[in-house]
Amino acid sequence: MAYKVTGIRFNQYLKELEKEYLIFAPVALLGKGAFTNTDSVRYQKITKLEEVELTIKANFSAKEILLPITETLFYFNEDNWTEPKVHDKKILLFLRSCDIHGIKRLDDIYLRNGCEDPYYKVFRKKVRFCLIECYESFANCFCASMGTNITDEYDMFIRPEGDYVYVGINNKEMGRLDEKVVDLSPRFVMQNKTKVSIPKELSKGLAQSVFWEEYSSRCIGCGRCSFVCPTCSCFSMQDIFYKENKNMGERRRVWSSCMVDGFTDMAGGHSFRKKQGDRMRFRVMHKFHDYKKRFGYHMCVGCGRCDDACPEYISIAHCANRLKSIVEEK
Amino acid sequence: MDINTKILKKNAFRITKERYKTAIRIRVPGGEMAAKYLDTVKYVAETFGNGTIHITTRQGFEIPGIDIEKMAEVNAIIQSLIDGLEVNQTDSNAGYSAAGTRNVAACIGSRVCQFANFDTSAFAQRIEKVIFPNDYHVKIALTGCPNDCIKARMNDFGIIGMNEPQYDSYRCIGCQACVKACEKKSAGALKFENFKVVRHSDKCIGCGECVLKCPTGAWTRSSNKLYQLVIMGRTGRKNPRIAQPFIKWIDEASVLEIIKNTYAYVHNYIDKDAPGGKEHVGYIVDRTGYQVFKNWVLKDVILNPKAQVAEYIYW
Amino acid sequence: MSNTYLPFKSRIIKIIPHTAIDYTFLMEYKGDVKPGQFFEVSIPKFGEAPISVSEIGEGYVGLTIRRVGLVTNTIHELQEGGVLFLRGPYGNGFNIDLFKSKEVIVAAGGTGLAPVKGVVDYFADNVHEVTVFSLIAGFKSPKDILYKADFEKWQRTINVIVTVDGSDDETYTGNTGLITNYIQDISIENQSMANVIVVGPPVMIRFTVAEFLKRGIREENIWVSYERKMCCGVGKCGHCKIDDTYICLEGPVFNYVKAKSFID
Ligand SMILES: Cc1cc2nc3c(=O)[nH]c(=O)nc-3n(C[C@H](O)[C@H](O)[C@H](O)COP(=O)(O)OP(=O)(O)OC[C@H]3O[C@@H](n4cnc5c(N)ncnc54)[C@H](O)[C@@H]3O)c2cc1C
Ligand code: SF4
Ligand code: SF4
Ligand code: FES
Repeated sequence: MAYKVTGIRFNQYLKELEKEYLIFAPVALLGKGAFTNTDSVRYQKITKLEEVELTIKANFSAKEILLPITETLFYFNEDNWTEPKVHDKKILLFLRSCDIHGIKRLDDIYLRNGCEDPYYKVFRKKVRFCLIECYESFANCFCASMGTNITDEYDMFIRPEGDYVYVGINNKEMGRLDEKVVDLSPRFVMQNKTKVSIPKELSKGLAQSVFWEEYSSRCIGCGRCSFVCPTCSCFSMQDIFYKENKNMGERRRVWSSCMVDGFTDMAGGHSFRKKQGDRMRFRVMHKFHDYKKRFGYHMCVGCGRCDDACPEYISIAHCANRLKSIVEEK
Repeated sequence: MDINTKILKKNAFRITKERYKTAIRIRVPGGEMAAKYLDTVKYVAETFGNGTIHITTRQGFEIPGIDIEKMAEVNAIIQSLIDGLEVNQTDSNAGYSAAGTRNVAACIGSRVCQFANFDTSAFAQRIEKVIFPNDYHVKIALTGCPNDCIKARMNDFGIIGMNEPQYDSYRCIGCQACVKACEKKSAGALKFENFKVVRHSDKCIGCGECVLKCPTGAWTRSSNKLYQLVIMGRTGRKNPRIAQPFIKWIDEASVLEIIKNTYAYVHNYIDKDAPGGKEHVGYIVDRTGYQVFKNWVLKDVILNPKAQVAEYIYW
Repeated sequence: MSNTYLPFKSRIIKIIPHTAIDYTFLMEYKGDVKPGQFFEVSIPKFGEAPISVSEIGEGYVGLTIRRVGLVTNTIHELQEGGVLFLRGPYGNGFNIDLFKSKEVIVAAGGTGLAPVKGVVDYFADNVHEVTVFSLIAGFKSPKDILYKADFEKWQRTINVIVTVDGSDDETYTGNTGLITNYIQDISIENQSMANVIVVGPPVMIRFTVAEFLKRGIREENIWVSYERKMCCGVGKCGHCKIDDTYICLEGPVFNYVKAKSFID
């Protein structure tokens, strides 16, 4: 079911929701791109529809709302600790189909890979999804290949059209708008220019293939591919003490990436996957093989952000397709 | 033939080796123009010149082999180019109104280059608008970052783009890519403490390397565009030298004011007995000393609060 | 909901120095734990380190900790009666029952002995539960030998070979040479049935396993324990993953049939 409301009415609706929700959506931050006079689209708190960037793909995914980049696990003083307070509001998240699928992947790691992660769970229970429709596929998207172009796991969706907004409600919790009711379901992208086919048998033999060596000379190990990825979920722990009072401090976790130096460093100078080619192999196998073995579907959701972001023009889509042709040649 | 060479030179033509022939210099402020104006340059070279074009160090075109008699015709033809590039003029259809103040040059800048901290050509064009035409000999160049590809430090005024990086510690994952890059390629202004980055602003040269390197966007650019103004660099026979920092973290409005004031300073202090009545601004500063120059050009200028003026300069 | 990342306080009952850099800390602990499992041990404000359980007793566990960096250095400065923060135990550990009524050989290199020490302790005390139990332990030099008192005790019930890579200590009268040299000579009663546990640095594991395979030990009877960088210990942080395996969840103890296919 959907309502047709004016933009003004929709913003009122958001205002009503704000009593119960923190609303996060992709926002174009002017001049905050890496290069001069470029923007960066990131998740920010919003209060009005006009603030939301709906026309281009967000540079960073929605994952940081559930998995903050820096997250305090607890504070400690002399010999005790306290957990940080979490706000008691729910979270309404504006995101696209691929990103909803991405969060499903995070759920697998944080709720089903071993015990539940208490911090993630707190946020996850609060989150409601407002689907942003994709009319046309963006550059590098291959969601249709990954089967993530369609979803029904949204609580509401919107379709702004001129001065009006169509608002589809899929969950009673999201309330109602006493406006004209129309029959409407969300539109999804059904194909992309980039098509990826993943070989069924990504065997271990392939893992040792010379194929990966090329990436040792190309990849600079910056980690951009991981940090923009909606499904990359790794973190590192940090303990710090405050400069002002050395008896007080906190333990926190921050995002980390298997592409970046230090990920496997152990005492005594041991480390694994020293070459970037090996790291590329590890990441690609994780996205297209290892994870599927555990959870039954691929980890990669085909949002194409890694391909958007790589300064060295390394494309995971191209890599997967090359693997496919190698497997088929055999 | 009777010709006033002073007027000819002021009109951006030159007296050449070959008698009765001249060459014209086409200004391209900021080194950037629509490709269609090349047609005019080509036409002049092929119709009036010897069919060749020389690309000058100051990012103009010099078209040689023109009959001195044809100057007026050439001036009429290049009017569309002068209009198109929005070069100020005293009299229409009379060509360039001055030659002393040279074309304002710029590196390719942020329209293309990843490193550039500002749109160099656009700023160059704004400067050109303020200072041209003028007979005083002043050279200005703008460069997007401290790499200084345009060699702004060889100019009377070099404007180097700076970016005061903004740090969001929440977004920092501690990869230290910025710290390493700053150490290796720049000023070594970043230190890693307690898993986050500390910037020593006194060392920072505002190159923007940290912003470029950060994979999470923890470092971003300031919306406030600032510059380093370096002064009185020069090549030439007498004491060639590199420009020295005059003001760091200065904003555009202040740069424009200072350049304008410099013309008044030159007007007041120029050696009236200098050969040809020409004295290069750098030599005037040598005569008056930096403090006199500084007081003149900063008169009535309300510098932006971040600006840091050098107390002394020793070239 | 309990928060798995929150540590609990544990008092240091006793500190047993073995070498200049390896101490065993006997820590108050009541609860289930198996040899080969590990705790995330921390000192707030300094950090956490995964440490294997080297000893299991009534109301306590032993942690043998080598000082190699920030956290372990700080731990070494603590005194008896002091407090460490623990969470865990994590990992699968060794299944003692699996080795019962069998011939068991343990080959351990350096601090690799720590995770398997609980197994040795158990069978040295209950030697009738195995047919034969042999331990080959290798250390860099005489001054790196751990658990000297335990070795004396073990010697009474099980076969023990201690060797050092090299020695410039003239008073040392024991064996020298790599562990692998001793595997060639060790008596194995039933090659196809004997169970072997190999723990130690990655290179040591590789060569030692190869030696045992040469002696006719079956791959499925070989057990190894892996160390990897670990931040969470509970399958979230991703650091410990090799191929599709999370060492903290499915390991650190692996059957060699699985472990041999790991590609780092
Ligand atoms: C399952 C397991 C069991 C272990 N059992 C023992 C044991 O019984 N006794 C023992 O002395 N040591 C053991 N270790 C190794 C021990 O965890 C590291 O030596 C310790 O984490 C180093 O911490 P540090 O702060 O003192 O050193 P740091 O100052 O952190 O760093 C020294 C080096 O250790 C690396 N390192 C940091 N954290 C870890 C980590 N979590 N895992 C591996 N390397 C790390 C660093 O990257 C660095 O290269 C075990 C490791 C694992 C994974
Ligand atoms: S973004 Fe590109 S260069 Fe950076 S780590 Fe990923 S693949 Fe390598
Ligand atoms: S590059 Fe970015 S993420 Fe890495 S240390 Fe610097 S600020 Fe932090
Ligand atoms: S230690 Fe974090 S996933 Fe294994």
